[in-house]
Amino acid sequence: MPNAVEFLQSVVNGIGVGLIYGLVGIGFCVIYNASGIVNFAQGVFVMLGGMVCQVLLAQLGIPLVLAVALTIPLVAISGMIMELAIVRPMMHRGATLFAIILATLAAQIMIERIVLLTLGDRPRTFSEFTPGGPLKIGDVAIGYQLFWILGCGAFLVLLLWLFFTRTRTGRALRACSQNREAAQLLGIPVSHMMLVAFALSAALGAVAGILVTPTQYTAYNVGTPFGVNGFIAAIIGGFGRAGGALAGGLLLGVLQALAIVALGAGFKNVAALSVLLVVLLLFPNGLFAGFGSKAKAH
Amino acid sequence: MTSHATISIEPVGVRWQSMLPPLAVLALAGLGLLSSDYVVTVLGFAFIYAIFCTGLNFFMGYTGQASFGQSAFAAIGGYGSAILCADYGWEPLLALLFTMAISGVAAVFVGYPTLRLRGHYLAMATFALGLIVYEISIEWTSLTQGYMGYSGVPPLGIAGFDLVTVKQQLVALAVVALFGVFVAARLRQSRFGRALASIAGSEPAARALGVDIARYKLIAFVIGALYASAAGSLFAHFVGFISPEVFGVTMVVQSFAMLYLGGIGTMWGPTIGAVIVSVLPEALRGLKEMQDIAYTAILIFILIFAPRGLAGLSALFKRDRAQTREGA
Amino acid sequence: MALLSVREETMRFGGLFANQSISFDVEEGELLAVIGPNGAGKTTLFNVISGFFPPTSGSIHFDGEDITGASAHHVASSGLVRTYQLVQLFKHLTVAENVEIGSHRVTRGSVFSALFRPEWMRRQEKAVCEGARELLRFVGLEDQADVQADKLPYGRQRLLEVARALAAKPRLLLLDEPAAGLNTQETEALAEVITRIHRAGTTIILIEHDMSLVMKIAQRIVVLDFGKKIAEGTPEEIKAHPDVIAAYLGGTEMTDA
Ligand SMILES: Nc1ncnc2c1ncn2[C@@H]1O[C@H](COP(=O)(O)OP(=O)(O)O)[C@@H](O)[C@H]1O
Ligand SMILES: [Mg+2]
Repeated sequence: MPNAVEFLQSVVNGIGVGLIYGLVGIGFCVIYNASGIVNFAQGVFVMLGGMVCQVLLAQLGIPLVLAVALTIPLVAISGMIMELAIVRPMMHRGATLFAIILATLAAQIMIERIVLLTLGDRPRTFSEFTPGGPLKIGDVAIGYQLFWILGCGAFLVLLLWLFFTRTRTGRALRACSQNREAAQLLGIPVSHMMLVAFALSAALGAVAGILVTPTQYTAYNVGTPFGVNGFIAAIIGGFGRAGGALAGGLLLGVLQALAIVALGAGFKNVAALSVLLVVLLLFPNGLFAGFGSKAKAH
Repeated sequence: MTSHATISIEPVGVRWQSMLPPLAVLALAGLGLLSSDYVVTVLGFAFIYAIFCTGLNFFMGYTGQASFGQSAFAAIGGYGSAILCADYGWEPLLALLFTMAISGVAAVFVGYPTLRLRGHYLAMATFALGLIVYEISIEWTSLTQGYMGYSGVPPLGIAGFDLVTVKQQLVALAVVALFGVFVAARLRQSRFGRALASIAGSEPAARALGVDIARYKLIAFVIGALYASAAGSLFAHFVGFISPEVFGVTMVVQSFAMLYLGGIGTMWGPTIGAVIVSVLPEALRGLKEMQDIAYTAILIFILIFAPRGLAGLSALFKRDRAQTREGA
Repeated sequence: MALLSVREETMRFGGLFANQSISFDVEEGELLAVIGPNGAGKTTLFNVISGFFPPTSGSIHFDGEDITGASAHHVASSGLVRTYQLVQLFKHLTVAENVEIGSHRVTRGSVFSALFRPEWMRRQEKAVCEGARELLRFVGLEDQADVQADKLPYGRQRLLEVARALAAKPRLLLLDEPAAGLNTQETEALAEVITRIHRAGTTIILIEHDMSLVMKIAQRIVVLDFGKKIAEGTPEEIKAHPDVIAAYLGGTEMTDA
């Protein structure tokens, strides 16, 4: 039976990783809103964020701020390449929904294998942004990195909110998500918006990867769990709203942390995936309204 | 008599053209017998994948749905056969049939709620199913020996007559793969198969003609699971060893590459795709990672430029003559 | 007893009453037309009758059986078959196979009979195949049997959809604007086909915009406007009905009937 300290500790741990899931979840929403596609390769951006940053830090020895400033645009570019090279031509050719999903999944595996070939399978990590810690409150330990995650998470949500409400591009993106045909008629360059969405979404993933790596590790294959958990977060949050995905991520993170206490670390992924199935089955059409008609186009 | 009537009424394989693919498979197997054990192994994998993809084609090709988690049933077949034969001394054939039954029942239970989903939901839910089984095969170490994998699986055999050499096994695999296509062809060219195709064509129209969509989707899913399970069992016997990685996400993507390359929804597409995708990357032999990159590159290329695969190419030569009769 | 009886059928989408308290009967062997301006609720009526939506209230009886809220495939298998306003073909299949699928409801057999092909199954397949060719001849598509369905010109796609529905040997056939998008010549060919189906004994409900077509072939007409039934009667009665004339903007559309 877990005691109160264990319980609190896992809630704290869950909040940290949950926020990361939330960021990935927002990434899913951004692309889905702009294009109607769920990018199965979303997790790969998290992996790339952690890996690229680690390589810049460790191999080139540049300072953290600079490494972060380089990593985020690099990963964003990888997202843009994915859009330009895979998603856009497929959409132009009227590919089916499943074919596009499949292509993004293939892209994920391809990127993973390329990373595996070039950087090896060794798990990597780098030190927390602020040395020292953890902060002790009673018996509960809170790593300083958690504060970074919380702070950056809140800051990012604020930035996103400003972007979507205050900038032309952001508003255009929102118009696309409401009705792509109408947006097109209004003269919004929809395909350009998709490029923006992929870049933004990849950048969000990169930030998540950079933030989370010090608390655990990164390796070529961490993408899938982050992607799946981010998707679950987005679904719990009602797919579309950033705040919802963030809340969904927190909920999932805490649930998972508790599952680790209750069932052991090994089955935390099984637990999360089961949550996914339960949510999917209880809300078969609800949260993703509009999916049905798109799927039928197959 | 029009070809239309011929193909529908007569059993498959009446026209000489339709004898070409099975002959090609047998020729390949024959070629394998004259080659090194390495070539035999590659061809064996190709035939095993052909079985897996032919099953997947029921659900994804004929019925037009998507399952990203069919590897789960291959894992059930593979681990089931491995454990039953290595630890409990079952007959391989019996274990294969038994695990197929288990996979089929599992597919009913899992498919019944899941197949109501559509689009991204269906894709993600089936993907999650595959991942759950993958995670379990890693974590339930007392049963599966985790990452270490399960070794010491005996070779295939029938009634005490073991197929000890890989070449004997290759012949058996070729026969099973052909049998799998034969069954697929029969099922596709029937009232049952037409009902599946109607779902792929237009669900509203299918319902308006009295097709019970939920039921047929489920049956197609279960058939796919049976094929997948058999493929998993055969893999375990052929290699003598299985590990979680065998049934991971790469298996899903690799089988999709085969399905799309050969031509999704066609009769021989899955087999042709399986052979090509298995054999071609052997040029990059030795580097498993390079192979995966090759699969994914092939797949993305096909998805973008030739979504109908080689079957689409052949349509260019056949002119208007509806190759769809073959079961697109 | 009427073959189909619709009682107080209401279908609400949020605040919108697409159908409101609609009642009418269709007798065996009749050809009933349902007309009304765009958005009057005609397709919704078909959707409810054929089991695609359960009605908000009211009841549907078909051949004495209460089919209110029954699933679409169940309704279809009991012999009530519909077509769509926007053609819904199995585009990737051949013309012949489209029609063969139509016979689903009047045939039997599933996985095992497909695999082992007993004698009855072979006979049935032969009958399905010949029946399909027969129907294609009936609608004039026999030369295109092996063409992929979406390669057909639009007018012929509509004929194919009718042939496919006929393969189900419907007891009641619901046709939703079968002449939409057809030119005069094609419409005439279609009218001819519908009349022949009717003469052969099939009960039909026809939604149609083309007034001349409706007035020529319908025995009775139900008029919908804003979700309500505003009139019912023979073509002559409908032509003279003041509410109908009002609904059709002073009858401009009616005069050329
Ligand atoms: N599935 C639906 N959801 C919401 N509103 C609908 C739906 N189907 C039809 N409607 C509405 O019901 C009204 C009647 O539509 P419909 O039956 O298609 O008319 P008709 O076929 O007579 O042109 C229209 O206002 C239409 O927008
Ligand atoms: Mg209508």
